[in-house]
Amino acid sequence: MSRIRFDNVIQRFRLIRERPDTLREAFARLFHHRTRYLPFEAIKGISFNLEEGETLGIVGRNGSGKSTILKLIAGVYSPTSGQVLVNGTVAALIELGAGFHPDLTGRENIMINGLMLGLNRRQIREREERIIEYSELGEFIDSPVKQYSSGMYMRLAFSTAAEVDPDILLIDEILSVGDVGFKKKCMARIHDFNRRGKTIVYVSHSMNSVKRLCTRAILLDNGVIAAEGTTDQIADTYLESIKSRQKEKTGSPVREL
Amino acid sequence: MLKLIKEIIKYRELIWALALKDLRVRYKRSFLGFFWALLHPMLMMVVYTIVFSTIFSRKIPNYAIFLVSALFPWTFFTQSLNYSISSIIGNSNLLKKVRIPKSVFPVSAVLSNMINFLLSLIPLALLILLYRFPFHQTLVFYPVQLLFLFVFSLGIGLFLTTVNVFFRDVSQIIQVVLRAWFYFTPIIYILDFIPTKYHIIFKCNPMYYIIDGFHQIVYYGMIPSTTSTIMSFIFCFASLLIGNFIFRRYQDTFIYYL
Repeated sequence: MSRIRFDNVIQRFRLIRERPDTLREAFARLFHHRTRYLPFEAIKGISFNLEEGETLGIVGRNGSGKSTILKLIAGVYSPTSGQVLVNGTVAALIELGAGFHPDLTGRENIMINGLMLGLNRRQIREREERIIEYSELGEFIDSPVKQYSSGMYMRLAFSTAAEVDPDILLIDEILSVGDVGFKKKCMARIHDFNRRGKTIVYVSHSMNSVKRLCTRAILLDNGVIAAEGTTDQIADTYLESIKSRQKEKTGSPVREL
Repeated sequence: MLKLIKEIIKYRELIWALALKDLRVRYKRSFLGFFWALLHPMLMMVVYTIVFSTIFSRKIPNYAIFLVSALFPWTFFTQSLNYSISSIIGNSNLLKKVRIPKSVFPVSAVLSNMINFLLSLIPLALLILLYRFPFHQTLVFYPVQLLFLFVFSLGIGLFLTTVNVFFRDVSQIIQVVLRAWFYFTPIIYILDFIPTKYHIIFKCNPMYYIIDGFHQIVYYGMIPSTTSTIMSFIFCFASLLIGNFIFRRYQDTFIYYL
């Protein structure tokens, strides 16, 4: 069964250039017919298909469109053109802090998050203790999350997402802020998740973790798929492309990564 | 509009949790906490009554009750607008992760103020007892008035929050507009005090009908006139229809402006 399907998806943003944020500016714009924003295509016609139980790694340089793809899958963005079909429940670990209200405590945020992800109150109550235990946040769970460190944020986000038990899990880099112990725990959990036939899309700059986790990968460059294949192939291609790019720039060989 | 109702039903637990969240954040870290929901209207009641009864109390008996019966609904209206205006921007963190109907945010903002408003009915009831004023039978129509007030506020709130995402000035402008609107609505006075030739202006004001309904039910013990009820209904319906339409039209682009 197809879980995620992209059909020639284009995502265009308006890159802010003195966006008329106030009425005055909007009025000013009425008189000067100047465009105050740059149209910017983050994703330029991408198609792929992901079956149930598959794990896809997305690699690429900063700004190549990785996170945009995740946000399209999560439904946060709607594509400018093309089609995004998502079949199943999605939990996303996207930006640090996304999904949390800074003034509420960890425990209160678990409730809000769970409800947003489609659980009902009773289901969340049942899982609450497990989430807290898994996150190892201890007594911090009753403090407002604005006082959390990045690592604590991530722990809460991951623990909640894992307990929600979605069909599709999206992970964007954020695991990297966790300490070694917790990262290991997360990886194990993700593996287990995959064994149970769930679909995972994983974005990372760490080729090792992509290799460990994913069977398939795509390399993004400037909003298009530059290469597609097994993780080993793609990891090599990616590292090669970085090396050659740096050589072009500096004219000198780079040390091994 | 049907969509909005469906979303509200489907996401009722989330809306409720968000509304409670709003309240919790509002009273968090204040020494008296939730007690402010009662204390604030009481203090407001005292201040307004002292200030305006010097002008109006001779012409309007039991002025405090007349005033408060309309002042609290008005406060609900303004607070609802203030909270729903910022509901999309204020919850941008929550919008960045999951696809959920964005209407849950303005709806929960208005709902949280409704809870606050219902609590303020306790001071109102105490005031009525204190004045040995009768609890009129017409109070059974109170829920209908509440519904009008809720729907009207939600419609305007949906509209304003949409505009505010694109032009943040709206939240500033609206403060001035609401102030003027307050004085143009017969809340602290009776329309009869105004020369008849100006009445037409007041009768274009949707809040006139809604507020009049509250006066009738609580203060006069009368069933609101048919005109008043019909006009309230029309304005509520129009407000929600337009607000919802505009909101839905632009909701998918909100994320790019947050």
